[in-house]
Amino acid sequence: MTWTEAPVGMVVTGMGAVAGVGDDVEEIFEALCAGRSGRAPLKEFDSTRFRARHAYEIDDRGSGKGMPLRATSWLLRAVEEALADAGLRDDLGSVPVLVGTGLRELRSVETAWQKGPGGEDFDLGRLHFGTALRERFGATRTYTLSNACSASLHTLAMAQDLIAAGEADTVVVAGVDTITASMFGLLDRVQMTVPDRVRPFDRERRGTLMGDGAAAIVLTRQDGSAGERAHGLLRGVAMNCDAGHPTAPDPQGISAAIRSAHERAGVKPDDIDLVVLHGTGTLLNDEAETTAVGEVFGPHASHPLMTALKGMTGHTSGGSGLLSLIVAARSLSTGRVPPTVGLDHRVPGAEPFRFVLPGQARPAASPLRLAQINAFGFGGVNAVAVLEGIA
Amino acid sequence: MPARTAALVTGVGLALPGVAAAADLLDARRSTDPVDPAARLGRRGLRYQDRATQLALTAARDALADAGILPADAQRADDDTLAVDGTRVAVVASSNLGNLDTVCETSAAITEASTDVVSPMALPNASSNVVASAVAQRFSLRGPNLMLCNGPTSGLDAVHWAAALIRAGRCRHALVVGVEPANDVVARLTGIPRGDLLDGAVALLVEDPAEAAARGARPLAELGDYTRDADLTACLSGTDGAQPGDWGVWFAEDSLAAAADVPLDGALRNVPRHALGAVHGQASGALGVLQCAAAVGWFSSGGTAPALVTAGEHEGDAVATLTLRPAEAARR
Repeated sequence: MTWTEAPVGMVVTGMGAVAGVGDDVEEIFEALCAGRSGRAPLKEFDSTRFRARHAYEIDDRGSGKGMPLRATSWLLRAVEEALADAGLRDDLGSVPVLVGTGLRELRSVETAWQKGPGGEDFDLGRLHFGTALRERFGATRTYTLSNACSASLHTLAMAQDLIAAGEADTVVVAGVDTITASMFGLLDRVQMTVPDRVRPFDRERRGTLMGDGAAAIVLTRQDGSAGERAHGLLRGVAMNCDAGHPTAPDPQGISAAIRSAHERAGVKPDDIDLVVLHGTGTLLNDEAETTAVGEVFGPHASHPLMTALKGMTGHTSGGSGLLSLIVAARSLSTGRVPPTVGLDHRVPGAEPFRFVLPGQARPAASPLRLAQINAFGFGGVNAVAVLEGIA
Repeated sequence: MPARTAALVTGVGLALPGVAAAADLLDARRSTDPVDPAARLGRRGLRYQDRATQLALTAARDALADAGILPADAQRADDDTLAVDGTRVAVVASSNLGNLDTVCETSAAITEASTDVVSPMALPNASSNVVASAVAQRFSLRGPNLMLCNGPTSGLDAVHWAAALIRAGRCRHALVVGVEPANDVVARLTGIPRGDLLDGAVALLVEDPAEAAARGARPLAELGDYTRDADLTACLSGTDGAQPGDWGVWFAEDSLAAAADVPLDGALRNVPRHALGAVHGQASGALGVLQCAAAVGWFSSGGTAPALVTAGEHEGDAVATLTLRPAEAARR
């Protein structure tokens, strides 16, 4: 099979997630719709070492800091939930599992390193997730892709290609990250001001704060039975690279990714009813994303509803794109859209955007049919997905 | 409707101690003189880049030049320098250990003091995709940009995904880079003496055959079937191409070869085998790319039969295999 053949329909048949605001998809979606935030004082690190004092962590440590393999445990939980939701057995065998992550199990490496020479007890074979996925699900076609903050939408694109090429009928796509001291600390060092919360697209935003989380979906070739329990139809995923600055985003690269996603999905800007923005709350991302979205949507910038979740979840890094996609799927199914928490006075350029805001009833609108999901990462790695709701 | 066609390798780049050409990889010798990226690329732009990134850039430059995509003397590229459309060139990098030095040293410094003492210039290196994105940035490659950190099979997986991106029409060319650095952090965490670790990078330029033919590129090898499964027997039983007796050369580390004695009635035992990690250093995420480059070297030295490349482990993660064929078959 090649890409020149008729497009292959693919549906999301199962979803699972873990985040600071909830332990499964339903809990997370309800919390987000209610505008609840997972923000809390730093727990994993000694807060006297950092300027920032808050993060959006998953608080499951029990007895203390530096517990190893937390990212792995959330990943396994999210995949378990997605498989159960899809009605699949948890014996994956040759079903591909594609995991997008920014920071792998690097937090486990950091804590092992701190124990000093001879004290390291972390098996580097667990830095990627293949071994754990084989132990738990018998999976052997596993890939850990470390693609910064857009990793899990990159793995979604790769999964789409596998199914389109006829190399798999079903693929598990996942994303996961836990906060590392090195990344949290370097962000703490470089941000001009110290954020106390994430405020996507707000003029007074002061930077991003990281969050823990995992997300997983089951993506299946569409046939008669697969559509019955589907959460959404994957219309297209685009990925590209700015090839510009090491950390600063480029509006041109982002707008090219959005246009490419629309083209792959066969949609026009005014077809999109909901945009789940990347919205990290950094000065540069929100400015670049506003410019790019404004440019691509042009006169239609006021048509789609828009929201950004990171004011409630924190920046969940490699898992954030897929978490946004899961929320988008729930929004398309229910008509409810979580608000952009932390947004009071929008950045210049975002005036026409129809942000869903806390405490406001969702603007009256026709049913939501098509959602666009954005994710961008360090190194200028951009990925954009288009998802269609199933009536 | 064209039949499914395999991708071609049209360029090889090496940043390895004492190895100048792919054919040299088959010699069981190595030098201990470390690669000096600044001597080959110039100092500009390297200052804040970690060792893995510098090595990757060095190998990437040579692969692009070898494939005729970059002028032979160019040290970087913009849209005008590249012989092809940079938006149609993907980068697929592989490394497991590349940024462990930054991660461990930064977290230790913060624990001992505070974030005041860490350099902001280390920020890009804290993200594991720094290798793939730095290669894209230096050479203006704007296609899909993937960073595989997939354990012992990671390098072979990267070669596979390069071919998959081409087959899916997401790019016409893909630059694959496998890299690992030898440093004290990696030595301590792996328990492998620093001198036994690979400190190098290998790059391959992989292309759509029609595109390669159109621009008159010289094919070096054709990528065949790839599998990833629980063990070598399962991998090879799913391969629809070569039979065990057909392989002219086999690339496998000793541990995997030992586990593979039983399957296929021992047929593989008669195929000449190269364990490159034992020669060039434990290569982790770079291994599969190194092995593919050595297969190209084997073809350029007159090898005419398919090459079998294998990586991974029977216990733990999984095993991946890839068949490469000489370029003559591609031109048939």
